[in-house]
Parts: sequence; structure tokens; C-alpha cells
Amino acid sequence: METVTIDPITRLEGHGKISIFLNDKGDVENAYLQIPELRGFERFAQGRRAEDMPQITSRICGVCPVAHHFASTKALDAAFNVDPPSAAKKLRELMYMGYFIYDHTLHFYYLGGPDFVVGPDAPPAKRNIIGVIEKAGVEIGKEVIKHRAYGQKITAILGGKATHPVCGLPGGVSKGLNKDEVKEIEKMVDSCIEFAKFSLKLFDEIVLQNKKYVDLILSDPYQLATYNMGLVDKNNKVNFYDGQIRVTDQKGEEFVKFDVRDYYKYIAEHVEEWTYIKFPYLKAIGWKGFKDGKDSGIYRVGPLGRLNAAEGMATPLADKEYNRFYETLGGKPVNSTLAFHWARLIELLYATERAKELIKDPEITSQKIRNPVGEPGEGMGVTEAARGTLIHHYKLTKDGLIDKANLIVATTNNAGAINMSIREAAKGVISRGNVSNATLNMVEMAFRAYDPCFACATHTLPGGMPLEVNIYDHERKLYKTLRQNL
Amino acid sequence: MGKGMKKTKTIVVGVGNKILGDDGVGIHVVNQLRKQVKNLDVTLEEATTGGLNLLDIIVGYNKAVIVDAVRSNNGEHGVVKRFSLDNFDTMHSCNPHDVSLIEAIDMAKKIGENRIPREIVVIGIMMRNIPSEFSECLSDEIAMTVPKAVEMTLNEIKKDNMRKISS
Repeated sequence: METVTIDPITRLEGHGKISIFLNDKGDVENAYLQIPELRGFERFAQGRRAEDMPQITSRICGVCPVAHHFASTKALDAAFNVDPPSAAKKLRELMYMGYFIYDHTLHFYYLGGPDFVVGPDAPPAKRNIIGVIEKAGVEIGKEVIKHRAYGQKITAILGGKATHPVCGLPGGVSKGLNKDEVKEIEKMVDSCIEFAKFSLKLFDEIVLQNKKYVDLILSDPYQLATYNMGLVDKNNKVNFYDGQIRVTDQKGEEFVKFDVRDYYKYIAEHVEEWTYIKFPYLKAIGWKGFKDGKDSGIYRVGPLGRLNAAEGMATPLADKEYNRFYETLGGKPVNSTLAFHWARLIELLYATERAKELIKDPEITSQKIRNPVGEPGEGMGVTEAARGTLIHHYKLTKDGLIDKANLIVATTNNAGAINMSIREAAKGVISRGNVSNATLNMVEMAFRAYDPCFACATHTLPGGMPLEVNIYDHERKLYKTLRQNL
Repeated sequence: MGKGMKKTKTIVVGVGNKILGDDGVGIHVVNQLRKQVKNLDVTLEEATTGGLNLLDIIVGYNKAVIVDAVRSNNGEHGVVKRFSLDNFDTMHSCNPHDVSLIEAIDMAKKIGENRIPREIVVIGIMMRNIPSEFSECLSDEIAMTVPKAVEMTLNEIKKDNMRKISS
């Protein structure tokens, strides 16, 4: 058996490695991604004051601090048996929209989008934001920077700090909004709506009007017919902050819908010996290996998972785009991994429209922003992180300390699907032992679409994301290496 | 920094995750500096991510000193080294959801940002592995590097302050 290893050499030794196994004919048989997994959180959390958890968990990941902050705060609402005032929920959700605005903007323009805007065949050195600016113009670069900053500013006004918010408390939030802040936010939100519309137009012009790209999106190597999961409101529309967890099947029909407090009845985790990552799957279906289809319990989360798991968007412009998305890509569900990018932009538009609704809500300046907590117990909280469903579960002692903590994070939910997407993409470019030069690009595009958040995402050192493909013969001897950013 | 506050010429940013053991050494160094830096014209900050967020923090200063854990590729452990940013073209942020600081700077320059620090220095605490287990404590070996990293960072700050005094 030959082994192809694609290694995003991270600073965590032995982690973040992609291995592709070939069969005796030289075709791809399997692919595995080893994602760095931080360990020991439960032990670290044990004995700490429960109300410190929103701050502590926001430090788990430098990329999704706001998602952890509110999944944690909501788990505490439940654990202290308190329902926050409606103004507090709106303030939390508005802040959450700021987070989606900056996060989705960053991903589309800096990370995933360049594959399309600059082109999947372009050299890696060009497939970045600089390449986007060269193609689309300097003015666009300015807009990107401006609106990412607006998202962060909105988050910071509400949360105290954009990177490590301090506003979430069990039963509500610590800070409301005054009229000047409302005005400031509304102005930014209006601009963000136009920016989101523009981004969809750009996607339309560059990607959707280019048959080659549409064919690539719809091509076999990027299809995966898994179940889909996401939070929905009472009308089954996508919701990032609250609602029920809905799972749809390969026909786009509802498979199950449940409250987060019952998550363990529906989700189980499979362990593989080659990685610390656990692979969540639908309990009712079972773990059947890295397979898609209705008999395999693997599901997808994130922008595409959410759109597939819902029946529409709760705001008018985003809903219109939602319908166009399915009309263009052949109906529900859309199984193309590369459609994550378009789904992400539809969500960006939704986040801006929803932010506008919230900031115009007269209750947003209410000072009734916290309810008193009850006795400590057990609680679960769920939010949609930009990259998928995020669950926090705490059991408290009678003194309000953490007894047990369990987290299921977004990239973990997608771990099974990411492995399969890498395998399918590799199949498209490796055959009979011939490893096409496009291997790096195609495999990178497959996992980049998920916007995975590796746990080591906390650092500074410069350099693009490195990839290394090591190709081994059937005796596992290295005979070829492909590299980028190394 | 709020509006209207006077900006210093130099900023020191400790980077890392303070609940991830040795990974947070940059933050420990900045905490030490807070106790020692009294009369110098310097801003002390913390950051958890590199790339764009770090760029946002250092924009507007003449000089930025970034203190961070650096994974060595030759087994070095517990050694402190000074790098200029240009030396980092073979090292990586391991975060697929962000761009590198170099890319962030290139992008900013491209759209006409002219407030990027003229000098960016990295004080790197070399380690064989970046930890992946939660803890608020530094290991003994890395804790012993903190005084040296503080001293080297102070040298950077003083150089800048001296230049200012003499000019």
C-alpha cells in the first residue's frame, strides 16, 4: 500500500497531518486528517467557579472566542435555572452577529474565497487576499478591511473586548447599550448590509457566471451525501444564537429535531486509535466508518450544514439568496463541499440583516438585562459557531463550582466529513499511482471549505499555511514530496 | 487604547494562550514587564492570535516587540532568541483560520496603510513542542527563560527610548 501524507506542519508536533493511502492499483483507498486536539479541559475546569467559565472557555480558541463565550453563558443559564430577560437575549444575539460579520468576511476574502476569486489553478502564492486585490481592485481590499473591523467593533461595544468578551453572565449580560452606541452600531450595520450584498454579487460575477467553477462545485470529488445539522428557530429558519438542533437527511427531510439538553440521546462519539479527535455521529444510525449515505451516522455542520438543515433564512434578502442557492445547485440538499463558500456569504447577509432588526428593536436599550439566578445544577448550552454547532455541558456542585465539563466543538462535529472530503478530493486527482500536481490545491480546497479551526490556533508566527504531500510506495518508502509554504 | 489617549512609540505584545501552559510564556513575560517598566515610553499588550488581530494591535506604533513561544526545528528548548520579522519566512502560524502577520502587513500596505511599525522584532522563546494540554503554569524549563526574555525585551524598549532622547 502506498501512503501519501499531506502535512500542514504545525508547531504542534505530530498533529495536523493528512495521510492518503493508496491501494495496490495506486488508487486512493482512504484518507485521514489528524487535527491537533487540546487535552485535559475537563480536569482544568474542575473545581473552578462556574461563572468564570465564559471567560475561560473564550480562551480555548483564539478564533471563536465569542461562540465559546455564549455557548458557555447559555449552559450557565440552564445550570442556574434562569431565563435571561428578552433584552439580554437580543444584546447577546446582536453581539453574535458582529462576530459572524467579521469571521465570515475573514474566511471568504482571506482564506477560502481566493481559491475561487483568483482561481483554483493559480499558484498558491497568488491564492490569497493579495491575489484577490490584484484581481478585484484595491478599493475592494479597503472595503474588506473596513467591514471586518466593523464586525469587531460591534462585538467590542457589546462585549467589552472583541477577542475575549466579558459581558455574558448567567441570567443575562453585564452591560446594555446607550443611544449613542445604538446610532454608532446602526451606521456600521447599514454599511455591512451593502457590503454583504456586494460580496454576493462578486461571487455571482466571478464564480457563478463561470461555467468552469460551477462544474467544479458540482463535480464528483466534492460531493458528500451526509446528514446535515444546525440550529433552527420555531419556523425552521437558520438561527446562530438559539433554537433547536435540527438534523435533515439525504433527501433534505427532517430526521430529528431536539433541544440541546437531550444532545447525548442523539449524538455519540466514535474513537479512532490514530487521533485524539472523537468523531461525533447520529446515535440512531450508528458509526459505520468514514462513509456517507443514509446508513452512516456522519453529519455536517457549518454554513452548508446549517442551510441544508433549515427551511430558509429568517431575513428577506438572505432568504431570497437561499432559494437561489438551491435553484442553481440542483435542489435540496446541496452536497457539494465547495458550496460552503456561497452558503457562508448568504449567512453573512443574514447576519447583517438580523443585526439591523436587532439594533432597530426598541428593547435593545432596555436596562433590564439580567435576572437573578437559581440554585446550581446541570446545564447545556448550544450556539452556532461560524464553523458549526458548538455545545457546552456543565455539571455544578452545590457551591456553584464545576464538577464536570464536556464540550463538543464545531470542527469536531465536522471531523468525519472532513476526512471523507479529503479522500474524495484526492480520488479526483490521484489515479493509478499518478499524483497530479493539482493534488495540493484540490485537497486543500476540500478541507479549507469547512473553515476548520484547529486547536493550536492561538499563535502569531508569520507564514502561510504549509502543506506537505509525502508519497510512499507500497513498502511505505518515501519517493516523492510535494510542498507549499515550507 | 481609547480615543484621545497619547500613543507611545513602542508596543510590546505578549502572544499566547495563558491557559495552555508554556504556550502562554509571552503573556508571563509581559506580566513581569508590567512590574518593571515604570518610566519608559512603552505600551504593553497581550494577544491570543497572530495575523490580522496582531496587526490591528501594532498599527500606529513606530516599533513593535512581539514576545512569543517559537517551536524550534533543531531541538532547542528553553533558549531565548531575537528575530527580525524578515527571518520568519520559514516559520508558520498553524492556524488555518487566519493569515500570517506578513500577509496581513502586505495586504495593509497594498491598500495604503502607512502606520505599520517601521521595526518589528520577535523575542522568541524556543521550545521543542508547543503544549496541547490545559494548564495555567509554565514548566520549570520555560519559567527559567522568563527573566532573560524580560531583559531582552527591555533592551529593545530602551534602545527605542534612547534614540528618542538623543534625537
